[in-house]
Amino acid sequence: MTIASYVFLIIGGLFFLLGGLGVLRMPDTFNRIQAGTKATTLGAFSTLIGVGLGNLDWAFKIVLIIVFIVISNPIGSSAIAKATYKSKQIPDNLVQDELANRGDAK
Amino acid sequence: MKKLFAFVLTIGLGVLMIFSLRANTLFPEFGDVSIADRISALFLDKSVNGDNGDVVFGQTTDAEDGAANLVTSIVVDYRSFDTLGEVTVLFISSLGVALLLGVAGKQKRLALNFKPNFMLRVGSRALFGIILMTGVYVILHGHLTPGGGFPGGAMIASSILLLYLADDEFRTKVKGFKVLESVAGSLYVIVGLLGLVLATYFLQNFLPTGTVGDLFSAGVLPIVYVLIGLKVGSEISGIIDHFLTEGDLA
Repeated sequence: MTIASYVFLIIGGLFFLLGGLGVLRMPDTFNRIQAGTKATTLGAFSTLIGVGLGNLDWAFKIVLIIVFIVISNPIGSSAIAKATYKSKQIPDNLVQDELANRGDAK
Repeated sequence: MKKLFAFVLTIGLGVLMIFSLRANTLFPEFGDVSIADRISALFLDKSVNGDNGDVVFGQTTDAEDGAANLVTSIVVDYRSFDTLGEVTVLFISSLGVALLLGVAGKQKRLALNFKPNFMLRVGSRALFGIILMTGVYVILHGHLTPGGGFPGGAMIASSILLLYLADDEFRTKVKGFKVLESVAGSLYVIVGLLGLVLATYFLQNFLPTGTVGDLFSAGVLPIVYVLIGLKVGSEISGIIDHFLTEGDLA
């Protein structure tokens, strides 16, 4: 159990590292959101599962935190993406802009 | 030249300060102090459970204070009067915001310059419950874990702020907040007066303190923390509401 917990913690740390690297290296906001949220979600889950396996008394709280991240992370990133779009911070090399053809895009 | 002069002056002052302190007998060398000369023997011999044994988590009963959290035991027990003052400071700042930004008559909330989409509105409602619950948990466990009334109240207020920012129709019931705030503040003072009546001094811990680490322990500390949490939460929510509303002229 302890070894499994350590393995999950290491995987989580690795994903956090990759996410941080992505936020630093990616060229524009949309790519940064991609790197930040995807990697952080998996990193946070792995870290939390590792902590929960390490101490089974905390398992219920860990599940609650994971539920919180599951809900908050996509909402936050979508709100950031929408705000970026509305403040016209769109990169020049955008291939497809489906939001521009919809009525509520302004 | 000016910088050089300032540099020399600073160095000179520092050297003067160090040498004057070294010559002073009131500032002995590090580790060269006898504590018995400075603190009353009453406090040196005293421990939280009367005898000089260690406090064991989950076993020690009837300690003087009963909180498993040192900061809480100082903030809400030994220096509770100070905390009452802090709560008053927050109350005065909320009063100032209400005086400057509050409007008599009809009010409407400030319009957001975007329309929150469906996902944002529904998702933030789901998150609201979790954040509120975390705030209540932090308040209730204030005497056991780090946290307590002030952070828990701020969490409750942040959940209200989330609803304000993610939903352009949302509006709190400010009157309820004001009633809650006044009741909680008055009850804090009444708990203090009860300590004066049932024990010896204002805000004394007059209830049995129980086992260290239990949820129902530490005497009046959880009660006071719940009151502080309610007061801080409703006060900050009221401040948020005042910032996000304006008079409705139409």
